[in-house]
Amino acid sequence: MNEKKESSVLSEIANNLVAFGRMQGADEIEVAIIESSEFNVDVRFGEIENLVEAGSRALSFRVIKDKKTAIATSSDLTMETLQTLVKNAVKRSTLGNPDECAGLPALYKTKIDIASLKLFDPEISKLESEKKILLAKETEKIALDEKKITNSHGASFETIKIKIALANSNGFLKEYDETYCTLGIGLQAGDTDNKAEGFWSCSKRFLKELESPEIIARKAVERTLRQLNPRKIKTQNVPVIFEPMMTSWLLAFLFSCISGISIYQKTSFLVDKLGEKIGNKNVTVYDDGLIPRKIGSRPFDSEGVPVSKNTVIERGILKNYLCNTYAARKLKLKSTGNADANSVGPNNFYLQPGKTSPEEIIASTKRGLLLTRTIGHGLNPVTGDISRGAFGLWIEDGKIAYPVSEITISGNLGVILNEIELVGNDLEFRSSFSGPTIKIKELTVAGK
Amino acid sequence: MQKDNSALVYEDHFHLSNNDILKILNIALSYGGDFSEIFLEYKIYNFINMEEDIIKETAESIYLGLGIRVISGEKTGYGYTSNLSFNKIKKAAIAAASIASKHSVRNSNSLIPLKLKNNYYPVLKPSNKESLEKKISIVKKTYLSAKKYGSKIKKVKVSFMDQIQHITIVNSEGLMISDVRPLIKLTCLSIAEKSKRKEMGFSGGGGRVGLEYFKNNFTPEEIGKEASKEALTLLDAANPPAGEMPVVLAPGHSGVLIHEAVGHLLEADFIRKKTSIFWNKMGKKVGNEQVNIYDDPTIPYFRGSYNIDDEGTIPNKTLLIQKGKQTGLLQDRLSAKSLNMPLTGNGRREDFTCLPIPRMSNTYIDKGEYAPEEIIKSVKRGFYAHKYQGGQVEDSGKFTFSVSSGFLIEDGKLSTPVKQATLIGTNIDILNKIEMVGSDLKFGLQTGTCGKEGQAAAVTDGCPTIKITKMTVGGLK
Repeated sequence: MNEKKESSVLSEIANNLVAFGRMQGADEIEVAIIESSEFNVDVRFGEIENLVEAGSRALSFRVIKDKKTAIATSSDLTMETLQTLVKNAVKRSTLGNPDECAGLPALYKTKIDIASLKLFDPEISKLESEKKILLAKETEKIALDEKKITNSHGASFETIKIKIALANSNGFLKEYDETYCTLGIGLQAGDTDNKAEGFWSCSKRFLKELESPEIIARKAVERTLRQLNPRKIKTQNVPVIFEPMMTSWLLAFLFSCISGISIYQKTSFLVDKLGEKIGNKNVTVYDDGLIPRKIGSRPFDSEGVPVSKNTVIERGILKNYLCNTYAARKLKLKSTGNADANSVGPNNFYLQPGKTSPEEIIASTKRGLLLTRTIGHGLNPVTGDISRGAFGLWIEDGKIAYPVSEITISGNLGVILNEIELVGNDLEFRSSFSGPTIKIKELTVAGK
Repeated sequence: MQKDNSALVYEDHFHLSNNDILKILNIALSYGGDFSEIFLEYKIYNFINMEEDIIKETAESIYLGLGIRVISGEKTGYGYTSNLSFNKIKKAAIAAASIASKHSVRNSNSLIPLKLKNNYYPVLKPSNKESLEKKISIVKKTYLSAKKYGSKIKKVKVSFMDQIQHITIVNSEGLMISDVRPLIKLTCLSIAEKSKRKEMGFSGGGGRVGLEYFKNNFTPEEIGKEASKEALTLLDAANPPAGEMPVVLAPGHSGVLIHEAVGHLLEADFIRKKTSIFWNKMGKKVGNEQVNIYDDPTIPYFRGSYNIDDEGTIPNKTLLIQKGKQTGLLQDRLSAKSLNMPLTGNGRREDFTCLPIPRMSNTYIDKGEYAPEEIIKSVKRGFYAHKYQGGQVEDSGKFTFSVSSGFLIEDGKLSTPVKQATLIGTNIDILNKIEMVGSDLKFGLQTGTCGKEGQAAAVTDGCPTIKITKMTVGGLK
């Protein structure tokens, strides 16, 4: 069989350990191995600062015996260590309590087509170190040509090549390869006591899809300079426009509130809301792991459940919680292919774009805040409360007037979902969470 | 004195002789690097999780690997591997070596094994030698105490983590030194519910301690109670006010302010790169003269303490701010050399896959002379910040910290409890607005983890009651 032939030494180790676990008395066992090689260069003021080149392997497994779970991980892949860990885990499982929902997913019949997802770029391994270094140097040089830039955090280029193998005692055995590359830069403008900072980076699976050094440098420069000489504003309630990166940040918070784990644990304000209206008609959110070439795509999740496209919110109605097998059993739902190690993670989680351009959204705002960056914590999934430090641009009469800083934004996700007035047409998949520009009717912006 | 059993671990797990080590150090120098170093790590980690009234899972993890670093001028090359065949190690050494390109190659000929002078965590019985049953019993006690605190407590989650990290650092200057670091963390999360409103409370403890900590210092019962108490208090909490007002920081947990507003920006990599607002402030006044700030990796049993840093340097207590003047920096080897300043022992790394960078350990603002009651009494209307989710700073000095629970201050008294607020400011501005420093220095929970450049480090922070004249509180209007 073709697939068998392609399977590597990793699959073999995983499969052997599954067999060993069964022999030791585990009812079920699942073994995952991740092998990765990394190249990373940081360049600052034209010189290399750090150059890291390395490879590593990590194995993780879980055993279930009498509905009791024990897990383990190891970076030491010698059989002796692994077998000891399995024996320990089988022994340890007896100290836990039985949990009806514990256990592996049944073997899915869905055909998994790894090749069509296009997760691996062979060009990345072929790229010479010199060229990688040059990409970072070029990006920084272009940015530093702008005289108003006064300091550099440096530019970085990183490539990662990963092989993932997964085997379990229900007969699952598959592996796939994937690549990532990231080019980014951080800058400062202004003098020591009045600095503005800005960053920009781009991550893709394919080298030729990466934004060019010119685009990344220009974007970072623009984002830095526009925050220069900020004003403090009075505390007030105003419309707030989220840039795509900020919408992505909001979506990451939404994800933590609709994750099946938060739901069964009742640590989310969206418990028991399936089928209910939780937002206005502008809110449609999907999680889709099958979009070829995207960062969040993968053939199957960390339990071997095939990923798919799931509707999370449709025109404001909550349609699905995203689950791994355990959370799904707890909630009497089906796994959505979102298992991520022992937790739940996004595939490509995104807000459906609208028809309005970001320029039109800004022009529609008489007075308000264009949110460009937040810092700090201040997210509470139990209540949906949001409170963060913020940077932005003040809008007066539909135009950007001046930068503002030392402000905070406060609101509640439950309220925000009902007050998204406009959704932009500028969706780009830049990470696992992606959203276009959005306009929120009102948030509290605290300043003076 | 600590029994030096680390050499054993390192022979057991790495199968490398002193000769092999010298060979690797020299391969790493073969392209003309100035300095080479090997960081060898063996770590065992255990985890127990209890929720929904059951021990849901237990975990065991093993980290074994080494990282090889070469410095050439201000450039650093790094390679690491978890595959310990000599060929793979050699490959990592060459990857690191290639950062240099000089003709003259120096060689390292000898290693001088150094023994530790002090042990800041003389734990009688490391927790990995304790039975899992005993740890489970601590978890269950915490859980029950939190659960039975009140009928409104609807959910409790308790996690217990312990680890033993064995490290050895050898370098081309002949250094060879080892440390064995225990670390325990117990956390409890409680959720209280009343007429559809839900609030969360948190507590925890630990440090570089053994299980006796849970008898002598902070019992499981107290930890569970404290988490549930906070959740119940927040059920009746009001939304925070918004705008500028006087802020009083509670002792202990508020140390996160010093960590964010001051500590990070005195990490010497940001000074060397001149990206920190402090880069040109050495010896200058940056805050009120009541302000004295220390970073001290030598506090016994503390989470942020260590006998050697992750470059093998014996650490010191560092006076960062003295009477409002900037007097110190937190150094790693690279920054100290570049700035021509002495090492402080603050070069830390998360594990063998990471480069060491300057980090904090246990950071605190020292006690002042005001009684805490006097400080609260001095505020007519303001905000009392009690517990935190964390904070963040950027190099420009702008920082936030997220308050999970606090109180309003009205007419010199704590009044309504308040939930979820964000405080924001610029560091030098806030340091100057510190108006009163209390006499009640305390440290926050022994559960803190700080993130920098993707690396996690165990830290603690401390401070006494402090009054800040005016600060922006981000709440609701």
